[in-house]
Amino acid sequence: MSRVKTLALAAAFGTLIAQTAWADDIVVGFATAESGFMQAYDKPAQDAAMIRIDEINKAGGLLGKQIKVVTADTKTDRAEGAKAGLEVLDKGAELVIVSCDYDFGSPAALAAEAAGKVSFFLCAESIKAGIPGVGPHSFSASVLAAVQGATMAEWAYNKRNARNFYRLLDTWTVYNKGICDGFDWQLPHLKDAKLVGSDTFKNEDASIASQISRIKALPQEPDAIMLCTMMPGAVSAVKQIRAAGIKAPIINGSGMDGSYWLSAVPDLSNFYVPVQGSIYGDDPNPAVNAFNKKYKEVTGGDPSSQYVYPGYVLIDVWAKAVERAKTTDADAVVAELEKMKGEQTLFGPRTFTNEIHHQNTGRYLIVETDKGKPHVIDQWTISEPIPVADLLKQ
Amino acid sequence: MAKRSSLIARTISTLIILILLLIAIAVVTKLVGSRPFERTVVEMFIRVMLVAGLYIFVGNSGVISFGHIGFMCLGAYAAAWFTIPPAMKGVSLPGLPSFLAHAQLHFLVSAALAGLLAAIFALIVGRIMMRLSGIAASIATFAMLAVINTVYSNWDSVTGGTGSIVGIPFNTGIWTALGGAILVVIIAYLYQISRSGLALRAGRDEATAAAASGIDIVRERLIAFVISAFTIGVAGALYAHFLGVVNPDAFYLGVTFITLSMLVVGGMNSLSGAVLGVIVISTIIQLLRWLEKGIDLGGTTIAIPNGLQEIAIGLVMIVILMFRPSGLTRNRELVWRYWPFGKGSVNGVAVSKTIENVR
Repeated sequence: MSRVKTLALAAAFGTLIAQTAWADDIVVGFATAESGFMQAYDKPAQDAAMIRIDEINKAGGLLGKQIKVVTADTKTDRAEGAKAGLEVLDKGAELVIVSCDYDFGSPAALAAEAAGKVSFFLCAESIKAGIPGVGPHSFSASVLAAVQGATMAEWAYNKRNARNFYRLLDTWTVYNKGICDGFDWQLPHLKDAKLVGSDTFKNEDASIASQISRIKALPQEPDAIMLCTMMPGAVSAVKQIRAAGIKAPIINGSGMDGSYWLSAVPDLSNFYVPVQGSIYGDDPNPAVNAFNKKYKEVTGGDPSSQYVYPGYVLIDVWAKAVERAKTTDADAVVAELEKMKGEQTLFGPRTFTNEIHHQNTGRYLIVETDKGKPHVIDQWTISEPIPVADLLKQ
Repeated sequence: MAKRSSLIARTISTLIILILLLIAIAVVTKLVGSRPFERTVVEMFIRVMLVAGLYIFVGNSGVISFGHIGFMCLGAYAAAWFTIPPAMKGVSLPGLPSFLAHAQLHFLVSAALAGLLAAIFALIVGRIMMRLSGIAASIATFAMLAVINTVYSNWDSVTGGTGSIVGIPFNTGIWTALGGAILVVIIAYLYQISRSGLALRAGRDEATAAAASGIDIVRERLIAFVISAFTIGVAGALYAHFLGVVNPDAFYLGVTFITLSMLVVGGMNSLSGAVLGVIVISTIIQLLRWLEKGIDLGGTTIAIPNGLQEIAIGLVMIVILMFRPSGLTRNRELVWRYWPFGKGSVNGVAVSKTIENVR
C-alpha cells in the first residue's frame, strides 16, 4: 500500500507546484498526443500553434499578460486523453487544445466542457468536433471534410468540365465518409452532372482490382473520380488506379496533401487536392510562404502537409476573441468567437455562429500534381455553405 | 453441506483481503490523489472488473479467451443505447428500434441490462464454441471478437460505425467503479467455490477423470462463459459512463492484450492473481508515465523518452514471467495466516489445492 500512497503524494505535490507557478499568466493547455500514431498529426499543428503563441508573447502578450503553455500527453489513448484534459485544467488552462481527430480529442474536450472552459480541436474535420459532439464551448480550427468534397465537385464541374462523376469511398474513417457526404450533397446542385457509379473499399485492402475493373467496365471513362480516402491506404489505391491505365482526373480531400508519398506513384498527373494553404512555396499569399520559412527555422523541417496550418489559425482566432472580450472567461470568449463572420486569417476566412463552431464553407486552394510535381493552380469557395441540418444528418 | 460451509470458511479470507485492498486504494486515492490520478484509479477498478471477469472463465476452465473484450463492446454500446438522451439518439443513431430510441434509463439499470445482453449473447455463441477446447477454443473466441468488432464498425445506423457515439452521461466515479470491482470479485469468488466452479476446475486439471466422474465439461464451461460475459458486459457499461464516448476501436486488440497480460502476470489460476495482476501492472504503468513526464530531483529532471513506457511494460512483464512463470501469486490465493476458521489456509495453501482435497 505504501507504494500507492507515495505515488499519490507525489502526484498531489506535483499538481500543487504546477498550480502556483503561473499565477500572472494566461495558461493555454495542450492535451495532445506526444506519443502514439496521433503524434504525427498533432505535433506539426501544435508547432504551428506555438509559433503564433510566440509571436503574441513577443508583441506584448494577451491582455498585457504572457501566454504560458502547459502540456499533457494523451498517448493516443482515449482514457488517457480525458486525464490529459483534467491535468492541463488543473494547471490552470483557460483554453484546452485537443487532438486533431474527433475520436481521440473528444475525451479531453469533454473534460474541458465539464469545467466550463473553451476547447479547440487542432484540426478535426467532423461536424461532431464542436457543439454536437462536445458542447457549446468547443470549436475546431479546420474546415469540415464535407466542404472538401463539395469544393472539389464544384470546382471540377466548373473548371474541368466534369459531368460524369465516379465516387470511390474508403469506409475506414468518418473523415473519409465526410468527404463523400459533401460530394453527395453538392452533386444535385450541379446541372447535368451525374454519378455514373460508386464503389467502396477499405483502407487496409491490399488490392482494389475488383473496384478498378468496375470503373473500366463503364462505357466511357468518368470525367472525374472522387476519391474519399486517407493515408496510408490511399497511396496504394492511387497507384493501382493509374497502373490500370485510368487517366481520369482524381479529386481528393485534403488528407492527400503532401509530397512525402509521391515517390510511390512516379509521374502522377491529373491529381487534385484542396488545401487551406500551400506548403510548396507558391501560395498566392506571401505571408503563408513567410510562415513556411519560419516553421522551418523553428522545427528544422518544412511543413509536411496543410494540416500544420489550423494550429496557427486556432491561436489566432482565440487570441482575437480574448482581446475583444477583454477577458479569458469562457462564455465571453465564445460570444466573441461567434461574432466572427469571415474573419481573415493567414489560411482563409473563419466564421463561427451559435449553431456551428466549424467551417461549413471556406476558401480552398486547388493543388494539382502534374508529372509528380504539386503546385497551386486555382482557388475555389463553394457557392453556398453546406446547411447545418444536412451536416448533422450525416 | 458440511464440507461446503467449511470450504467457504477456509477460503473467505481471500475475498475479504481483496475487498479490503480495493477499498483501501479507493480511500487513499480520495484522500491524497489529484483528479487525473483519481481517473487512473477508476480505470484500474474497471480493469479489475475485466480481469476478474476474464478469470471466471479463463482461470476456471483453462481455456484462454481472446474474445471477452467483445462482451465489453456489447455492454458499452448497450449502455450508450439505454442512457443517451433520446433527442441526441434520434440524430446520431437513427436506426435504433423505437423502444431503444425513446429509452433513457438509470445508469445502474442500464449497466445490469448491458451485462444481461452480453450474457445472452454468450449463451447463444457459447453453446457452439464451448464444445471446442484448447487452442481451437481460443481461436474461436478471437474470431468472435473480430466478428463483433466488424459488425459494430459497420452497422452505421445503430452503432454509429467507426465514429464515436457521444452523449453518454458521466456516472462512473471512483465509488461506482469500486462497487463494480467488488461486485465482480464477489461473483468470481462465489463461482469458483460453487459446484459448477469446482467441477470446471476439475475438468481443467484432469479432463478425462472429470468426465469419467460425471462432469459435463461443456455445460460447466458454458456456465462460466455466461457469468464472465455478464460481468464484462457490466464493466463495459461502466467504462462507457466513465469515458462518455464509445468507439469500436476502444474494444479491440489493445484492451484484449493488456487485460490478458494482467491476468497472466498475476497468476491465471487464482482470483488473487487476477486482482493483483491489475494492481501491479497499473502501478508500474503509472510509475513509468510519471517518469516520462519527468520527475524533479533537486533541480535536475529525470525523464525517459515518450513512448518508452509501452516498451518498458513489455520488458517488465517478460522479467516477471521469467522468474515467476505461473504468475506473481504462483496461482495461489492470498490468505490470512491467522485466519481462525478452517485449518486449510494456515500454511497458505492455494484454493485449488484445497478444492482438490475436498474433491
